[in-house]
Amino acid sequence: MEQVKVCILQSDGTNCDNELFYAFKKVGGSPEFVHVNELRDKSRSLKDFDILALPGGFSYGDDIASGKILAIELISFLKAEIEKFKSGGGLIIGICNGFQTLVRTGLLPFGNLGKMDATLDNNDSGHFECRWIDLKSEKSKCVFLKNSYKGHFAVNHGEGKFFSQPSVIKKIEDQNLVVFRYVDESGNPTQEYPENPNGSINAIAGVTDPTGRILGMMPHPEKFVDSTQYPNWRRETLRQAQDKPHGLFIFEDMVNYVKEDK
Amino acid sequence: MIHKVRVAPRNSKIEKRDAFKKVKVYRLEGISLEDTKILAEKVLSEELTQICSIDKQLVKEKVIEVAYKPGVMNPEVSSIMKAASDLGIKLLAADSSYEYVLPINQHNLYNPLTEYIMEEEPETLVIKGVPGKTEIVPLRKMNEEELLEISKDKLFLNKDEMKVIQNYFEDLKRDPTDLELETLAQTWSEHCAHKTFKAKIILDGKEKEPLFKRLKDEALKHDKNIVSAFVDNAGVMDFYDGWAINGKAETHNAPSAIEPYGGAMTGSGGVFRDVVATGQGAKAVVSTDIFCLADPNMDKAKLPEGTLPPDYILKRVVAAVRDYGNRIGIPTNNGSFHFHDDFRAKPIVLVGAYGILPKDKAQKGEPRIGDIAVVIGGKTGRDGIHGATFSSGEMSDRTISVNATAVQIGNAIEEKITFDAILEARDKNLITAVQDLGAGGFSSAIGEMGEITGVTVHLEKAPLKYQGLSPWEIWVSESQERMLIILSPNNLNDFLKICKKYNVEATEIAKFDGTKRLQVFYGKEKVGDLDMKFLYGGLPQRVMKAISPRHSERSEEYNLYPSAMPQDDNGWIKLLEKTLSSGDVNSKESILRLYDHNVQGTSALPPFVGVDMDGPTDAAVIKPLLDKPYGLIVSHGLSPKKTLEDSYEGTIWSATEAISNYAAVGGDYKEACLINNYIWPFPDPQWLGKLDSCVDGVVDFMKALKIPVISGKDSLSATYRSSDGIVLHSPPTLAMSVFGKIPDVKKTVSSDFKKVGSVIVLVGKQDIRVDLKVLPKVLEAMYKAINTGKVLASHDISEGGLVTAIFEMCVGGNCGAFIKVESGELLLETAGCFIVEVENEETANELFKGIPYKILGTTTKDEKLSVEGLFSADMKQLQEAWSKPMKEIFGWNR
Repeated sequence: MEQVKVCILQSDGTNCDNELFYAFKKVGGSPEFVHVNELRDKSRSLKDFDILALPGGFSYGDDIASGKILAIELISFLKAEIEKFKSGGGLIIGICNGFQTLVRTGLLPFGNLGKMDATLDNNDSGHFECRWIDLKSEKSKCVFLKNSYKGHFAVNHGEGKFFSQPSVIKKIEDQNLVVFRYVDESGNPTQEYPENPNGSINAIAGVTDPTGRILGMMPHPEKFVDSTQYPNWRRETLRQAQDKPHGLFIFEDMVNYVKEDK
Repeated sequence: MIHKVRVAPRNSKIEKRDAFKKVKVYRLEGISLEDTKILAEKVLSEELTQICSIDKQLVKEKVIEVAYKPGVMNPEVSSIMKAASDLGIKLLAADSSYEYVLPINQHNLYNPLTEYIMEEEPETLVIKGVPGKTEIVPLRKMNEEELLEISKDKLFLNKDEMKVIQNYFEDLKRDPTDLELETLAQTWSEHCAHKTFKAKIILDGKEKEPLFKRLKDEALKHDKNIVSAFVDNAGVMDFYDGWAINGKAETHNAPSAIEPYGGAMTGSGGVFRDVVATGQGAKAVVSTDIFCLADPNMDKAKLPEGTLPPDYILKRVVAAVRDYGNRIGIPTNNGSFHFHDDFRAKPIVLVGAYGILPKDKAQKGEPRIGDIAVVIGGKTGRDGIHGATFSSGEMSDRTISVNATAVQIGNAIEEKITFDAILEARDKNLITAVQDLGAGGFSSAIGEMGEITGVTVHLEKAPLKYQGLSPWEIWVSESQERMLIILSPNNLNDFLKICKKYNVEATEIAKFDGTKRLQVFYGKEKVGDLDMKFLYGGLPQRVMKAISPRHSERSEEYNLYPSAMPQDDNGWIKLLEKTLSSGDVNSKESILRLYDHNVQGTSALPPFVGVDMDGPTDAAVIKPLLDKPYGLIVSHGLSPKKTLEDSYEGTIWSATEAISNYAAVGGDYKEACLINNYIWPFPDPQWLGKLDSCVDGVVDFMKALKIPVISGKDSLSATYRSSDGIVLHSPPTLAMSVFGKIPDVKKTVSSDFKKVGSVIVLVGKQDIRVDLKVLPKVLEAMYKAINTGKVLASHDISEGGLVTAIFEMCVGGNCGAFIKVESGELLLETAGCFIVEVENEETANELFKGIPYKILGTTTKDEKLSVEGLFSADMKQLQEAWSKPMKEIFGWNR
């Protein structure tokens, strides 16, 4: 069987790379750590990979703005390589700091590398949040997510408020680029804190690009691929639901999509 | 030429809600206006949410600008330089700061130790300077008074020690260099040499063994799990499958008292480095934070001069843990707060860290002749000079002005990449030993590593933050985020390649040479030459007098009894609200939500669980190897109030509380190791007597449980003196940390009640003084009971007593409880006791046969906490009182 090769991109301050590696491995992917310097000096190349995954963390300390410095680095040195990877059918996922980076490169939401159309602003709460929230996926352009899902996800960020001008938000909604929203107990998108932990417009938690091959999201699916990663795994009412940890499907769907595509 | 870019939020909600408006200012030196425009647009601002100006004011109002003092490291600068360079723009220098719009109503807007109000535009951001010359100190001709004068404020050595040094140089027929004196002062400082713990103790006229020897001798009797104890930067114990786990806890009190943000940050950074610099390198997997402070609402008039308000300290230490721990990606999963007004001058900031490493790389290799030392990570600056000697001295109102350089600001990312490089190099077998550059800087780290072979150092090679440092300053600087790697020269090239990949600067600085001397050069000039034997063996053992604590000080009124029991529901509810809202007991959830506790994906029991994830847990359970079920359990216990009252009983209580937290989640106490930290007032005979009985308590505790202390630290400077004669002693504190292993994290339990109608059991002997004979049996029963899977929930009784434990379990379960107990038992803080939830009474009888236990009642659907015959309290109301105090300080948009 063919391997699905995943490039876990590291830079100064990446810190969710191990759990992301583990998540891809668990669903049968073949992840490898690649430092951005190795792409810059061309000792390694994206052409050897099927999936490019940008993990969470504080790339370059999130100085100036979250993901900003890494975004500039990617645009300055890897623009052609990323364009080629994209047009060659590669999939890209950015989680938390990875999402912030993708938005600041312009890859999300409209695939305009080098032009920012949206941003991830400071949380309305005014500070970093580490908590669990409910997330629901919806029918979107995203090519690899098969079904709609609802589940518990961890959020760990200070700058996660998805924001843009109303006209841009409308365009994102009209093109079905919203993949995930923060929802309340009954499953409806919410602006209430802390269910919506950052005040994102229209409760947007994750988006794709017009090709549907790039996914960016603030919550961390890779932090719930084993049952014991969820704080309440001991509570009986949840044991049933946890036969499949809630974050796992994203990695399964991605890896399976690549396999079917090959 | 410097261009200024100003950036502010564009009418966002945040700006309106802010108590004050601020504008970010970037200064960019050595580039054209066109390039400044490019940087402003592409890097420094985002049009969607921000407004921006170049070389002109952004707001109409008057502003004041607060910037880091020149020379204080601003972590953002390297990112600005990098982004500019990636865009092909060559900056000469950069800086960032804030303009605050006047008028502002904000206390403590900045800390004058690290920041200043910028009134004059700087001509350049480049710090220039000519290195000072190495001075010869005319020590040989000094009299006693003169010796003490140069020791004060700088060397912190006593008369006898100064004389030993004088004699050494008399024998050599020369005077020392400033660098040599500094080397001796920091190597012989209390911080590095633990002179009190190694001293001969004369207690009430009778000689007793040194404190350290008592601890070590007892600990090594229980060596089943010990991989290394008392020899490395952290204690190491056995784990599973060829892995070992290590742990360390360390205070950073002195710097935190005067600059809490920088102090607590570098406290975190330092203890993380200790864990990573164990053996040939470990991965840090979890951290703990313990703070002892004065009540944040304390009357500010009571603050001694030269000290900071406790609410400011509280906010800043929390911000530091958040900013350092979150950025470096080490989860903060366990901690506590303890309030006592006598902490107002010298608070306790105690950070713990735990790691994992291959067992066969858990020992440091001994440097061989020809091996080299490479410094990696941050550059060396003037920051942190005299940290080791400073933290060993008493604090006074002169501390802030004299020791300004002892405070540093941390850069978590620099430390993170350094760790990344070390772990890759370790796995490629390139490293002989890793040493942390902490207290005492190069002097301490290189000296210690070269003690056996001897070492030659070339200080001029050390990468500097700015020019102008004298050789002795480079030598003892405690600049953060630096590590020393010892390796064979054959491995150097491969090692440098790894460093380059991670953007880590690496420079060879010393060579181990077989001379058995410490020889330090600055270029061709020899600036220091000391015999290793004298440096590490010359310090005279202290003989210290101690007076044993008077028996009457062992108070009978040892627990939190209210003097009169309330008579009705209302009276009880008031008392409960008061207890639950008190500093040591109230909910810290608002704080914990600021800390990342599931980065690395390893948490199997976070700080809060339950239906609404607001029920506090007892210990952290970490699954450090994602693909294995093995658990690392981490907990701690301390009670400054109790050790103040009775240093022996308080110590036993603290240690029992620590191991009970560990046992409450299902840990097997026999598979645990201990870390002890002593934070004590300056050891005069009275305080030393109390310290002596505290150490005896720790030894007795090890004896009773047959488990060892394998690491620890003492900080014996919790005394403050002001110029007008005010002396303030912080409460003496023994903080016990516990870490251990469990083969399957699924065999652990949480504190939230799981069901309605299940049985609530009290397990353990309700004794005001802990019965060390019964304790191991109770702990064993708890482990076995939880291991059967029949315990639905379990929580340890600690501050706030039995009723608080049950209350917190109800919070987690969104349920109530109906119990039957005597009124006097409700608030008893009996360590070594547990509240346990089981299905029914038969299960309780089966699980706890043979040890003290009793059935208290049942869980209820009705969300009320009721005690038969006494009161019935609404959970919502109690919960409001419990969560309010910290929410007011740290909640939404605070």
